[in-house]
Amino acid sequence: MSIYIDKAAQISIQQPLCNEWFSNPSMPTDRLCKFVRPDFKQYISAAISRRMGTALKCTLSSASACVSEEKRSNLDGILTGTGLGSIENTENFLLAMLEGEEGLSPSNFMQSTHNTLGSQVAIAFKCHGYNITYAHRGTSFDSALMNAVVKFQLNEYKTALVNGVDEMTEKYFQLFDHIGFWKDRNVTIEDVRNATSPGTFAGENSVSLLLTTQPSEQPLCELCDTQLFYRPSDEQLKTCVEKLCHAFNINRIDAIVIGNNGDKENDAEYRRLAQLLTPDAKQIIYKHLFGESFTMSGLGIYVAATCLKEKRVPAHITMDNEALENPQTILVLNHFKQLDYSITLLKSC
Amino acid sequence: MDALVQELKEKVIQALNLEDVTPDDIDANAPLFGEGLGLDSIDALELIVLMERNYGIKLKNANEGKDIFKSIQVMADYISKNRTK
Repeated sequence: MSIYIDKAAQISIQQPLCNEWFSNPSMPTDRLCKFVRPDFKQYISAAISRRMGTALKCTLSSASACVSEEKRSNLDGILTGTGLGSIENTENFLLAMLEGEEGLSPSNFMQSTHNTLGSQVAIAFKCHGYNITYAHRGTSFDSALMNAVVKFQLNEYKTALVNGVDEMTEKYFQLFDHIGFWKDRNVTIEDVRNATSPGTFAGENSVSLLLTTQPSEQPLCELCDTQLFYRPSDEQLKTCVEKLCHAFNINRIDAIVIGNNGDKENDAEYRRLAQLLTPDAKQIIYKHLFGESFTMSGLGIYVAATCLKEKRVPAHITMDNEALENPQTILVLNHFKQLDYSITLLKSC
Repeated sequence: MDALVQELKEKVIQALNLEDVTPDDIDANAPLFGEGLGLDSIDALELIVLMERNYGIKLKNANEGKDIFKSIQVMADYISKNRTK
């Protein structure tokens, strides 16, 4: 049984619901970059969307763009990873409470939880299967993806939708700023290729992946497997990659997606692990285009899958600024504070 | 009263996030629920919040809303008689 990424869609700080970033990326110009909004009316009726926060509208739009209406009844489950959930509505609700506990808006309260995002998609798609939300900070998306893969491996899924969603509010941005999480200036691609100072910049993302064992004619790629680790040894990670390659008859990993974001300490760990796990592989970066969030690793999978589908890694997303033609296998590496790690292996179809 | 009706239309549009609706689109005498703007029970709660926050009117019984929220004009009449701020 093989699992395929059949469709993928993103809404982020790049042009939404398209692959414009692949050939003509826009470079972020602020420390906090907000969603580039698509025309929500194409996906959500005005009557429904008026109660929705931005993250929810983006989730529903990327999910709708990913799964055509006729395929929605085939979904066995919707799995969503989000670090902050509907933080915009949560803040609005809490701020209203500060003004007085009476007179609180019901809409903000109803849509203030983390699982609102996935559950609203499930309601819209009429999916009554195993729908679940993971709110595990930097491994929220990775956990949702791993849960999906396990369900496929148990033959309990044939088709599933996996989402990774996070928005960033001004207030939350300021809180992170107080602990030095962001740089005090714009992050450039040079920062991400060779970080010399702490801090990164904030992005927002809603990425949706349609996984299936029965792909359409042109799936993006095959999703071999994904593994999660907590405080792993180098040996554990190395063994994991070797086992994956052996299990899927892979002799060579052509490229590795790393989550460099311009923060010196974060990036040093990625550089070290890329050298350890795949010393000969092309190193792909993406956070200089999309920013940082708890579920940005979902964009890492999306970027890798797109490169496999397009049979090209463009120079503007490589560490050495040189393109790679016809990649066959890509490893996606994610770590969160050097505690939680994930490894995902993708290969071309 | 006309100024209050106009103000109320703007506040309702804002509170209920009625995209693509302008104050001129709202007939002050048209029903707010069912026909007209087609509002629902959650909107009724939002309107109760709106009345309390903006005009200091606290509905003791949610069922009162059925009569008060018949139309913008009826709401404006009620507010002008009962407002505390």
